[in-house]
Amino acid sequence: MKNHLTQLAGRVKLVLLAPMLLVLGQNCTSLTEVPHDALTPETAFKSDAEILAGVAGVYAGLRAVEWVGYETLQDLTTDASIVPTRGNDWYDNGQWLDLHRQTWTPNSAGTLAFVDGSWNDLFAGVAKANLMIDVIEKSGLAQARKDSTLAELRTLRAWYYYMLQDMFGGVPLVTTTELKQYARVSRDSVFRFLEKELLDSRGNLPDKWPAGSYGRLTKGAANAILASLYINAGVFDKNSGVSATAYNSCSGVTVTGGDACAGAIAAANAVINSGVYSLNTNWLNNFNASNKSSPENIFVIVHASDGSGIGGNWPMRTLHYNQLNTGQGGPWNGFATLAETYNAFDATDDRRAMWLVGQQKSFETGQNVTDRAGTPLVFTAKIADVDAANEAEGIRFNKFAPIPSPPVGSAQPADYTFFRLAEMYLIKAEALLAQGNTAAAQTEFNRVHNLHDAANPVTVSRDAILKERLLEFAGEGKRRSDMIRHGKFLSWTEASAHGHTDKSSQAFRLLFPLSSNSLGSNPLLTQNPGY
Amino acid sequence: MAAVRSVVASLAALLLSTASLGAQTGSIRGRVVDSATSQGLPNVSVVVEGTQAGTLTRNDGTFDIAGVSAGAHSVRARRIGYAAHSVQVTVPAGGSVTATFMLVQQSTVLTEVVVTGYGTQRREAITGSVATVEGADANKGVVTNATQLVQGRVSGVEIIQNSGEPGAGSQIRIRGGTSISASNDPLYVIDGVPLQNESTTPGAAGIGSINPALPRNPLNSINPNDIENITILKDASATAIYGSRGANGVILIQTKRGANAGNASEMEYETYVGAASPAKTLGLLNGDEYRAFVNANLATLGANAAAGLGPANTDWEKELTRTALATNHNLAFSGGSAQTHYRASLNYFDQEGVVQANGLKRYQGRLNAAHYALNQKLRLGLNLMSSRVNNTFSPNENTGGFLGGLFTNMVIFNPTFPVKRADGTYFETGCAVTASSCTPSAQDVRNPVAMANQLSDVAPETRLLGNFNATVALTEYLSTQTTFGVDNTDAERRTFAPRSSAVGAAYGGYARQAERSLQNLNFQQLVTLSPHFGSNDLEVVGGYEYTKDDNRGFDAQSQGFITDVFGVNNLQAGTQASSPVPTSYETESSLVSFFSRANLSLSHKYFLTGVLRRDGSSRLAPGHQWAVFPALSASWRLSEQDFMRDQPFGISSLALRVGWGKQGNQAVQPYQTQLLLRADPGASYPFGGVISSGLRAAQVGNPDLKWETATQTNFGVDYGFMQDKITGAVEYYQKDTKDLLLEVSVPQPAVVSTRIENIGSLRNRGVEAYGDISLYKAPKRTLTMGLVFTKEKNEVTSLGDTSRKFINTGFVSGQGQSNQYSQRIMVGQPIGTFFGPVFLHVNSAGQQVFACTSKSADCTNGETTNPSDDDKQVIGNANPTFTLGVRNNATWYNFDASWLWRAEVGGDVFNNTALVYASKGDAKQGRNFLRSALDQPDAINEPSKFSSRWVESRTFTRLQNVTVGYQVPTSFTRGRATRLYLSGDNLVLFTNYSGYDPEVFVSSGLASRGIDYLVYPPARRYTLGARVQF
Repeated sequence: MKNHLTQLAGRVKLVLLAPMLLVLGQNCTSLTEVPHDALTPETAFKSDAEILAGVAGVYAGLRAVEWVGYETLQDLTTDASIVPTRGNDWYDNGQWLDLHRQTWTPNSAGTLAFVDGSWNDLFAGVAKANLMIDVIEKSGLAQARKDSTLAELRTLRAWYYYMLQDMFGGVPLVTTTELKQYARVSRDSVFRFLEKELLDSRGNLPDKWPAGSYGRLTKGAANAILASLYINAGVFDKNSGVSATAYNSCSGVTVTGGDACAGAIAAANAVINSGVYSLNTNWLNNFNASNKSSPENIFVIVHASDGSGIGGNWPMRTLHYNQLNTGQGGPWNGFATLAETYNAFDATDDRRAMWLVGQQKSFETGQNVTDRAGTPLVFTAKIADVDAANEAEGIRFNKFAPIPSPPVGSAQPADYTFFRLAEMYLIKAEALLAQGNTAAAQTEFNRVHNLHDAANPVTVSRDAILKERLLEFAGEGKRRSDMIRHGKFLSWTEASAHGHTDKSSQAFRLLFPLSSNSLGSNPLLTQNPGY
Repeated sequence: MAAVRSVVASLAALLLSTASLGAQTGSIRGRVVDSATSQGLPNVSVVVEGTQAGTLTRNDGTFDIAGVSAGAHSVRARRIGYAAHSVQVTVPAGGSVTATFMLVQQSTVLTEVVVTGYGTQRREAITGSVATVEGADANKGVVTNATQLVQGRVSGVEIIQNSGEPGAGSQIRIRGGTSISASNDPLYVIDGVPLQNESTTPGAAGIGSINPALPRNPLNSINPNDIENITILKDASATAIYGSRGANGVILIQTKRGANAGNASEMEYETYVGAASPAKTLGLLNGDEYRAFVNANLATLGANAAAGLGPANTDWEKELTRTALATNHNLAFSGGSAQTHYRASLNYFDQEGVVQANGLKRYQGRLNAAHYALNQKLRLGLNLMSSRVNNTFSPNENTGGFLGGLFTNMVIFNPTFPVKRADGTYFETGCAVTASSCTPSAQDVRNPVAMANQLSDVAPETRLLGNFNATVALTEYLSTQTTFGVDNTDAERRTFAPRSSAVGAAYGGYARQAERSLQNLNFQQLVTLSPHFGSNDLEVVGGYEYTKDDNRGFDAQSQGFITDVFGVNNLQAGTQASSPVPTSYETESSLVSFFSRANLSLSHKYFLTGVLRRDGSSRLAPGHQWAVFPALSASWRLSEQDFMRDQPFGISSLALRVGWGKQGNQAVQPYQTQLLLRADPGASYPFGGVISSGLRAAQVGNPDLKWETATQTNFGVDYGFMQDKITGAVEYYQKDTKDLLLEVSVPQPAVVSTRIENIGSLRNRGVEAYGDISLYKAPKRTLTMGLVFTKEKNEVTSLGDTSRKFINTGFVSGQGQSNQYSQRIMVGQPIGTFFGPVFLHVNSAGQQVFACTSKSADCTNGETTNPSDDDKQVIGNANPTFTLGVRNNATWYNFDASWLWRAEVGGDVFNNTALVYASKGDAKQGRNFLRSALDQPDAINEPSKFSSRWVESRTFTRLQNVTVGYQVPTSFTRGRATRLYLSGDNLVLFTNYSGYDPEVFVSSGLASRGIDYLVYPPARRYTLGARVQF
């Protein structure tokens, strides 16, 4: 019996242990996890191609800034743009009118959908830049290349922070890659940080990239951001006391090298005198499908028109369903402007051509189109009831005009313009005016205005400059900052009378609230006052 | 090793010595048979009353009890599920007496031996919460997959079929589900080997914004007819042996084996045909009603709206659906010798969907074999299943917005237009009805019948599921078992949208082939020690398990074809430049476990089970990969006590059970702990207009990721009254889940704004009860009833940081509903809490009016037409208050009948379909809408707004199944046992719910429940079947 057992045990050992050892020998308790289809920061960035890909990834974050990000909110919260509810289209929990009517709260539809989204998208840009800066600093790149790449990434990160402080004021200021809870810093420390980063970086940036690298940041881009930072210094450098009703001047704000107005002029001049840029004689060519060759472009989001969806979608937001065909159906018939904004454009102003009004045509066939019920599609300026608008109400944007039959909705090749040369002249004019130099201001003002509407000369004034910026930049994401700087953000009226309550006392609305979602993820964050 | 051997030897010697008894004894021999079938019953407990002598019957029902003292004895045979029976015998000294027992079946739910994971236990010895379903009792009607067998038959298990689509996945929650964003699916174990429960088919193409269909059911490849029984482990003391994967319960599936008797061979053929049709319609305007509506509202719709009307009167709901057939053929044979036995089966199953051009076919074969060698001490076992499932998908959707799939278009397509034009081709808007030829252009609104028939989307998958095991009985009390298991699936998905279709026109024809390959390897080594000490038994199982998962996929698409002839078979014929780039991926993960379980049984009265499992998962962060899952449970069979011998209050059996344990959940995707960089189109940037590849940080790693753990306490009472004519159990449990795996926002700056963290906790409490009652019993006439009752409550007890007040979930689908949520996960509320404005009435201007607080900007006298966030409140709860299942089985001579009712009481369902489509404003876009909108005073321009108006009661009672069978007398069939049956599914539904069916599951965000949006129409089904045994 015992002998038998031993024999059996011997055989059993062979039968059982052989396969066991096979399995156990290698893997008994090993739980190491090795990704096969992704890189980690430790395994990536070993070659120039990988480093360029990492930098491209930081730029790619700019696309989120445009579509219902910072850029969209800049217009949508003002008289430049509105998304009326059109029957069952575009109600969307009331999020669009929540923004336009400025009724947002930390939990409201517009905040949770878009303000919170911007918070995350802009910080994602910061985090991606921080990661790449860390990688480049540790890399073995040649010093000159290292310096220029770091300057590029720091400028890009500064732009993300510029937008964050414009929306929220002081935010967590982080330049390392560690993920943890950070508290907010004061708004002026963000301002000082931006100024320093831009001043430090611009010297290492090229004046111009070769055509194949068009879109990467240049010295001109750093100067343009700096000029914009300085002209807004009366808002951006203040931890409190921004006036909701009076002009917030750059004059009297001390920055590196003197007064902020002087800084704005110097930065604008650096762009104007660089010899790289010139005004486009055909204004609409700044925005058309081939605007990559526009001499006015200083800083743009570069778009491509293939099927991968990394093009623009401005026409999709605003055009009617029946005006364009894409692989994903027609446009969405949403974004329009207010009658009073359209009426601000003189008939003689060539910039009025950015609007679509009256009987509409197909961008494919050129034939007249109807609405979905079969009635001829005629865009009208008046939106009688923004809570129950018709398909045809509201004048539409055609600034970034579409190409016909794009493969997908987001395949419009027109680059989205953050900064154009025209703005440098208008910043310069505004800063000169703030310094009291009206004559010089008029000269700079005329360089822009007279190019488009020479028949109706305008005497320069703050209001004239604010209006000129609307005419020049409507749809380009400048309006909210401009109105805040000019003390008009809470008091603009809508002739079409769908404004809400009088908000002039609600100065806290100059900053967006932090969403309940952001606050929930980081107990160190404090809410902006008033919310 | 030597020491172990000597211990074993001395144990054996000890036990042998206790077994040798004096000469004044005799033996009892006999057989126990089922009174109905006269088949021998295995595993029946036969006990000589008043002594410790007893045994379990063999597989053929025979038994021997030696060493019984001479004289008169009462011998009792008991098997749960049968009424106990006693026989008086007189045992002669040195001789033997024969006793025969005829046991009458009493219950369909219980069996004596229950598979409990890494072994079996006798029912009476089970200390945890375990339920079993016999395949033969539940397999009625058209059963596509095994989970349907459990529905309404086991308390504490909620099964919601995701849709009426053949093969669609189902949502299974054992005791309420305890996770928010990690999986709530139970662990499936087939013949001892865990099934890889992931979607096996590649995702949908997404052309024309058609959203992916819900994942298929992982059990689709298993033939329900091969299932011997299903065991459901519910509480932690039962599931802890599965450690990190047991948190959501465990479903053990045992397949049928070859007859053990030796030499007997059997053959069985079963077939059925079924016909199904939609159980209900949504109620859309017909062409005439639509024309009348438009003509009556030209002032609002515009005079041209009348010109846009067509001449037809089309019922799109009717055109898109059909009477669908299902056929099933099973052939099984089994047999063997004393050394070898086997069972093999073949299955062909073909089920059409009630929606056109949609269905599922299965070809499957299974072989279960066992061979005994080395003087019966070695048992080699093989379970092998191979199946081919051909899924034919229709482009239907469960969520969605702007462009829809079949059901959106079914609802909105203008009913004044015909299905086909004069020339016989499908009508699409943009082509005149009378046009002799017209190529449809890309359209937002497409003819749904054309879509169903023109688009082709098939997904064949091949699954190989097998295990090989070797069991060695080293001694009578010590055995080892080694198992290798493999679960391998290779699936492809072939999607084609011809350029001649309205969907394909936008792409110039579109073709895609995607492949997905899943491999799961499993190795188990068990050692079982099971000594007996008199009437005390001990069983100790120790084991090691290693599991490795590997998932790979590939996807290539092409578009811009010159012809439709190639289909998916010539991707290179497309214009590659405009096609999305091919994609591929691979992930792998592994799980390592050490475990042990001890069952102690004292005098058949006291039972104790202890479990300890240590699991390590590669999916978790280093330092948190290992965790220990303990459990302890005990039961006391009071009815075995002397004071219960007289069966006070008619109590014939009574046991108390209590159990406690910890379970884990690691069901997160691999690599969540690392920051990963991927190169993909989302990260690329077109410097100079030429696209540069970009590296994108695809996720923020969580270096602290650890197990989600649930601690569960269970109290149970097993009862039997009136000689076990009534048997059942009542249980109460509390389950606390902590460190919930939850995708939450991370502090900024971060490359991605969310990641999986261990946040918050959840509590589930419930009462479950079932009872099996023998209502009437006479020779050849019986009536039994089974009742199943479940009441459970879940509550979110924490969301981690107190600054996180709630998590929005339950996306609202449909045009104009972007970023709208219908549910919130909030502390103090259950998962599935509806949150939104309270609807009051429609005002004279046709606007919806809601309740508001004075904080709200537009609030006047507590009413507003523009509700703000402050006006939202809890407006419903998707969870039922309680659920009930009642089933009856009746036999009357050769006839048998069974029926099953299910009811759920309380709870709400959000009718998202009505929110979006009960809207007259659709007519402004030339689109149809639900007829119910005509009765509402809403203005045509009034947008759809989510509110309490669309949250309805989900209380329902359903006649789930009725089956009537007839056992053909053997005189007509030359001795072959032949049964014919007629079965009906989903025959009656009582509910006030206005949509298709209140029992609905749509995956719409984190742990959302009870949202009904354009579900696949539920079917009513009739089946006629026959089974012949040779």
